[in-house]
Amino acid sequence: MKQEETTPEQRPPARLPLWANPRIGLVVLLIALIALFTTLRPAFLNTQLTLVPMQADISVYAVVGLSQLAVLSLGHMNMAVGRMAAMSAFASGLLHDRLDAPLLVALAGGLAVGALLGALAGLVISRTGVNSFVVTLALDFALIGLVSLLYATFTDGVAFNGLPAGMSALRTDTFADYCAGDVCGPEIPLLAPIALIAVLGVGLLFRWSRVGREVLMTGANAKAAELSGIPVRWRVVQAHALSGLLAGLAGFLLSANNGSFSAGVGDGFLLPSFLAPVLGGTLLVGGAVSVLGTVLGTAITQVIYKGLNLLQFQVDELKLYIGLVLLAALSLDRLRHVLAERRGVPA
Amino acid sequence: MLLAEGLTKSFPGVRALDGATLRLAAGSVHALLGENGAGKSTLVKILTGVYRPDAGRVVLDGRDVHFGGPLEALHAGIGVVHQERNLVPEFSIAENIALQHLPNRLGMVDRNRMRAEARRCLGLLDLDLDPDTRVAELSVAQAQLVEIAKALSVDTRVLLLDEPTASLTGDEADRLYAIVRKLTATGHAVVLVSHKLEEVFAVADTVTVLRDGRSVAEAQPLAGYTRDEIVDLMVGRAYASVELTARTVDRTATPALELAGLSTRHGHRDVSLTVARGEILGLYGLVGAGRTELAKALLGLDEITGGEVRVHGAPVRIRDVGQALRRHRIGYVPEDRKGEGLFLEQPITRNVGVTVWRRLARFGLIPDRAERDVVAEYTRLLGIRAASPAQLAGQLSGGNQQKVSLAKWLAASCDILIVDEPTVGIDVRTKAAFHELIARLAGQGMAILLISSDLPEIVTLADRIAVMGDAAVRGELANDRDYDAVSQRVIRLIHAAPVPA
Amino acid sequence: MTSTVEKTTRAATAPAAPPSRLRRTVRTSEFTLATLAVIGFVALTLTTDGNMLSAGTLAAFFRFLAVPMIIGLAQMVVLAIGQMNLSVGVLTGFCAMVAAWAMLEAGLPAPLAVLAALLLGAAVGLGNGLLVVFTRINAFIVTLATMTIIDGLRYGVNGPGTYQDYSAGLEELGQASLLGLPVVFLIACAVAAMVWFFFARTVPGRHLLASGGSPFAARLSGVSNDRSIVLAHALSGLLAGVAAVLTLAQSGSVNATIGDDLLLPSFAAPIIGGVALAGGVVSVLGTSLAAFIVRLVDVAQAQFAINRRWVDLIVGAVVLGVVLSGAIRAKLSRRSS
Repeated sequence: MKQEETTPEQRPPARLPLWANPRIGLVVLLIALIALFTTLRPAFLNTQLTLVPMQADISVYAVVGLSQLAVLSLGHMNMAVGRMAAMSAFASGLLHDRLDAPLLVALAGGLAVGALLGALAGLVISRTGVNSFVVTLALDFALIGLVSLLYATFTDGVAFNGLPAGMSALRTDTFADYCAGDVCGPEIPLLAPIALIAVLGVGLLFRWSRVGREVLMTGANAKAAELSGIPVRWRVVQAHALSGLLAGLAGFLLSANNGSFSAGVGDGFLLPSFLAPVLGGTLLVGGAVSVLGTVLGTAITQVIYKGLNLLQFQVDELKLYIGLVLLAALSLDRLRHVLAERRGVPA
Repeated sequence: MLLAEGLTKSFPGVRALDGATLRLAAGSVHALLGENGAGKSTLVKILTGVYRPDAGRVVLDGRDVHFGGPLEALHAGIGVVHQERNLVPEFSIAENIALQHLPNRLGMVDRNRMRAEARRCLGLLDLDLDPDTRVAELSVAQAQLVEIAKALSVDTRVLLLDEPTASLTGDEADRLYAIVRKLTATGHAVVLVSHKLEEVFAVADTVTVLRDGRSVAEAQPLAGYTRDEIVDLMVGRAYASVELTARTVDRTATPALELAGLSTRHGHRDVSLTVARGEILGLYGLVGAGRTELAKALLGLDEITGGEVRVHGAPVRIRDVGQALRRHRIGYVPEDRKGEGLFLEQPITRNVGVTVWRRLARFGLIPDRAERDVVAEYTRLLGIRAASPAQLAGQLSGGNQQKVSLAKWLAASCDILIVDEPTVGIDVRTKAAFHELIARLAGQGMAILLISSDLPEIVTLADRIAVMGDAAVRGELANDRDYDAVSQRVIRLIHAAPVPA
Repeated sequence: MTSTVEKTTRAATAPAAPPSRLRRTVRTSEFTLATLAVIGFVALTLTTDGNMLSAGTLAAFFRFLAVPMIIGLAQMVVLAIGQMNLSVGVLTGFCAMVAAWAMLEAGLPAPLAVLAALLLGAAVGLGNGLLVVFTRINAFIVTLATMTIIDGLRYGVNGPGTYQDYSAGLEELGQASLLGLPVVFLIACAVAAMVWFFFARTVPGRHLLASGGSPFAARLSGVSNDRSIVLAHALSGLLAGVAAVLTLAQSGSVNATIGDDLLLPSFAAPIIGGVALAGGVVSVLGTSLAAFIVRLVDVAQAQFAINRRWVDLIVGAVVLGVVLSGAIRAKLSRRSS
């Protein structure tokens, strides 16, 4: 069991072979899927019918994936992503409905609520040392109830009527609707750049920022992190707060996409939140994340959804194929690891 | 009865055993002695089927045996009680004892037979424990005895005890040894691995001493030796000390680090130590003496209940490692480098850079180039051999890992360094290089508290030696680097009866 | 510490004296849960003017306790080795759909269809276990993937359609009572007893717990941890199959949404019941009692016409409370020793 230290240090620094880069595999898979669906149904490349809504969906679910990724970096889980999103959307809706807050204020309020909920989970986890799965699961239960109670109390049903000015534009418009003279923007929904900012922000955080790196180090080895002077508990709280914040953003994007702040926001977030990062190569052990992989993982799942949808598969039946792709990708990844290890290359 | 001959076992970078021989006779207690890293644990693990030897053979009752795993060794009649606990805490005593061959009828556990079997094994040891008690409810000593009972549950004739008294009180140890003597009376052979010489002399009949993986005394009657002679055998007269440049320590200046009458929640009492700038204070003691715990309390990881810590003369209260590092420039290189010192799955760059990110960061972001420069500087300075800075720390050899673990504190420009067992599991040559490095750091004015159970290391490096036992300082002596004289004095301090508190 | 030390070899001779055994019983989390359950039940009876005790209410109470109990046990079995099974809920739905299909479309008699559901559950669980062992991928992820797959399969059986009137006998069984208690509940109790027996008395059960409690010690004693993992997952699947059969019996109609609302409760029951996520500890009684308490909350909601969502809120608060009090107690006892 206790394997003594291995020393491949004398070996020449082997470069990672191209096939061993997991991200490239995902890109190839993505392209292959798009090619496949386009051959079967040329309508797959129809801008209005497929591409624009698909971009909007990818935008929403990429942020959902990032929300989970934020705590996977620690080796933790957030079972309450969906409900944090719902609470955040509720806060935005309430701010608009009661205080007539403009779009940005409503958004900021929603994000703050998401971040606070995340921080609360992180605080409980870091103070008590209880498994993050249990804490966030319990929080999820509590919030499921709270969300519907709040909607029942403050609205006449399950949704707020009306949206802040500008929010419906987020849903309906693409950049092609905005022209300067004869030059119009590309057919990209307005939601996309918001998600892109989140992707870049999280990427920047984990790649270059001190806080992000210290979160990763905490995930890699909490004991060593503490003994290296990293404020471990505070980093745990921060990572969970980030997760809540991103869940809130995803809730906002979905509300924009749906056209209302409703109690159902976030109901379907849990599964995709794990699917995307895991498909993208982020493990549950903590210490390493792949932001780009998460985006690719989201794109692949959404392409499969849309493609099979066009092929007139039933919505629920699609899950079968998503699951198979996930299983295949994971097994291949495992195989890749084994092969790479045999060659003495750190995979 | 059991003969292990010419055993050799190498791990990358270290030759743990180099032709060691162990000969056992039935009905005797055999002591296996040696310093840390002499190869005792490796020998025990080969005999119990955990490792396979590279060369040499194991002969049991005149027949060559090869063990494919722990269970095979057990069925061949070799039982072992490891240093770590290996019981299932939620199970009853009876079930733990019988776990390897649960008596059953049609797949159902026959609890009566299981209990009877457990009673028989407990009876062998004259233990009066209820077999239905959960192991989690037992004291450490009781659990230890249950492990012995478990080792006897198969028809065991050779019993290996690896540091059985490390976590026992004197009283408990006496009871354990009474049981050991009973076992030998019934024809068992017992191998006792222990650091505690007075116990060894009280219990064992014969002795094998290991040094650097070789047996320097083979199955000699213990009565023929005095304690000092055994110590000589263990540490070796011919210890080639590294030539280190002499340092001068200015003892009149304010000490860099000063502990005044410190007590901690762990149980340290009235610990007073001082380390001056440019000085190496060696802190020697047996495993479990409380040295690592003292270091951790100093860093704020355990509660200090009394006394005072002074850094450069000013009393301080340290809350956590971050504060120790940033405000007081104290670094700590932990003993357990894989568990606490390194991020094994992270590249060298991150491992070294982790303490300097705060300094390098611009607007919260860390420029790659600045980090690379810092890492390159210390990789060169310490001679870390790696394929590239992107190599994972877990892929380095033990010596290079330790250098990485040290590098982060040098990069953070500490001026007080606590180094805990820096050369455990590191081969001789790398060890010498390490010693030079530590001496050089002190020569540059760093105050170093060197925690080590390796006596030659302490004598080579330290300016003064403090000896610790049972969470208190037993005594302090100046090191004149005359190895024989100093080691005798240190060992005497260690084995002196504990001063009543 | 010192007091125990002195008694090293002499101590604990006689089996624990009655008062201390009583105290030990009182201290267990099962006792706390049982007290809570009784208090809750009595309180509910009093506040509803005895309505709880009317035959109809009581029977409904126990009838709808059966499935949550079994599903909690299905999760508990996997928690015993320190892993999770996210596919329990959808697997229940899938087995139910397949059994209904077998009766209606393949014309299988009800007993054979029941057997098929059980076998299917066990087989899928076995598949989960083998995947975990052979790929060495975290069970959470493996069952996440299989959950997605089974979700699709479950839907594939009959699309959005509903199956009903599949077996008069089965439905009769679902409504039948014995000694005033619904038969489905009695079946659930019998299954729970078997699970208890498995963990308490059989060799594979004990090996499974040893693997969960300390894998290394288990390995040194010749226990195959891999076999324990496969067995735990297969058993979890089998229990999901049992839950499917009970669902078929009591509800009278099934569709592709069966099992959707079972995943989170499957965790709540064992966690409230004192089962550690780290593995090695199971409590069949605790899990069943926790399911009972959750059911009480459910009924209270119905009786007082409270918003349905209070139930989740309260369950969440209870889970968090149990976990936190456990952590605090552990911290306190560490401090006092």
